[in-house]
Amino acid sequence: MSDDELLTHQTWADALRDGELLGQRCPECGHETAAPKAACGRCGSRALETVALPTAGTVYTETTMSVVPRGFEGPYQVGVVDLGEARVLARLEGEVAIGDRVELEGALEVDGEVAPLFS
Amino acid sequence: MTDARIVGVGMTDFGVHERPLMELFAEATFEAFDDAGVSAPEIDAFYLGNAMGGQTERDTHLAPTLATHVGMAGIPCQRYEDACATSSNAFKHAVRAVEAGQHDVVLVGGVERCTPATGLETPEMTEIFATASHRQYEQPTGLTFPGVFALLTKRHMHEYGTTEEDLAAVAVKNHRHGTHNPRAQFGTETTVEQVLEGPVVADPFRLMDCCPFSDGAAAAVVASEEAAESLAGTPVGVAGVGHATDIVPLADKVDVKATQAARDAAAAAYEDAGIGPQDVDVVELHDCFTGAEILATEALGLVEDGEGGTAATEGRTALGGEIPVNPSGGLKAKGHPIGATGVAQLVELTEQLRGEAGDRQVEDATHALAHNLGGDAATTVVSVLEVAE
Repeated sequence: MSDDELLTHQTWADALRDGELLGQRCPECGHETAAPKAACGRCGSRALETVALPTAGTVYTETTMSVVPRGFEGPYQVGVVDLGEARVLARLEGEVAIGDRVELEGALEVDGEVAPLFS
Repeated sequence: MTDARIVGVGMTDFGVHERPLMELFAEATFEAFDDAGVSAPEIDAFYLGNAMGGQTERDTHLAPTLATHVGMAGIPCQRYEDACATSSNAFKHAVRAVEAGQHDVVLVGGVERCTPATGLETPEMTEIFATASHRQYEQPTGLTFPGVFALLTKRHMHEYGTTEEDLAAVAVKNHRHGTHNPRAQFGTETTVEQVLEGPVVADPFRLMDCCPFSDGAAAAVVASEEAAESLAGTPVGVAGVGHATDIVPLADKVDVKATQAARDAAAAAYEDAGIGPQDVDVVELHDCFTGAEILATEALGLVEDGEGGTAATEGRTALGGEIPVNPSGGLKAKGHPIGATGVAQLVELTEQLRGEAGDRQVEDATHALAHNLGGDAATTVVSVLEVAE
């Protein structure tokens, strides 16, 4: 991965559509994120490196939502997947529970917005 | 630096109100004016809390509009929007302005309409509430606001063994408290069985784990210690205010169940007030969901980490227990008109410290704490009030 340019949302979303989960690693504090920012969310450093995040991890927390926003059809499961140094909020499939091993299956696309899909 | 006082409070009933925002606001404001013994020309500035007027009312320049409606045109006005922590953030700024000597008498008001009767249907409101989560990295998953707190709560249950019965105990307690509050949206008791039989909204939350959509307004007159002495209202001291935030989105937080912003805001408020959690007699905290109350009781230091659920089940946080939480009924039973909620907590605590809370009075309360959060617990304002010397 190039660390010459700051990872944008557009690049993150395009990579996700191609089956790759990009993130950022902070060389100052070691924090990794799957939600790219202009500076590290933990320490404020602007020296962020773009990294390819693991595509498998464990469910850190999850919920199944029955009452959903306009534009969505429920029920469906959403959760935070622990990827090691980073965690990512994702749509989950397969009625998984906290601690279960899940893998990136692809991207969920709603109205031009993209979200990771794990199962 | 002078100390700030709350010299007058007012609020509407919370629930369904089929009248415009400005009329709700005026009712709460005039009650606060009359309680304080002030009239509009004596108000130096106006700090408004309204979170969603742009989306729900198609009205985005509310502060001068509402000021004019109650006869305060001309004074400096500003609107605060900080998700559900909206009006406690307005209160914080009013307190700081008074403490700094910038203004002597300030009106803080909060108002919101969220019910289907006055605005939008549930799917649209669910969509609007979800806008308090991250636009790019949370909303596309279809995460709702009950979903946000469900994620926090499920992790708490996983690590500490908190049960759905513990969650239900919070709802049962706050509904019981709400029966003593004539302004509460829900004035009837419920049972653990009834809560557990409700339809699932976002597991582990069932319908009765969630606060309702509400309309309502609340207002408080904040004055300097010197100005308060010349006013008729019975003053309550503002001992300390703490305001902190946490990382957004929630997946990046160090520990989702810790609600770190509440811990930081509480530490600042306790230090400001020169007290600790053991000195607090009565608490109004942000129980938008039953799990949120359990996390908050721990973050505020009222119970040990991991004991929030059992504290509710054992009655330790009930009226008559060791630390009464949400004697008003809380957001759960009193209602949650977003922008009015923070000030409404202060209305309840002012009445508690004055000994005017009727059947829900906590006896001999001298220190009271309000906890109001916004977003995915990323904003928290904690205020400590005390009986004025």
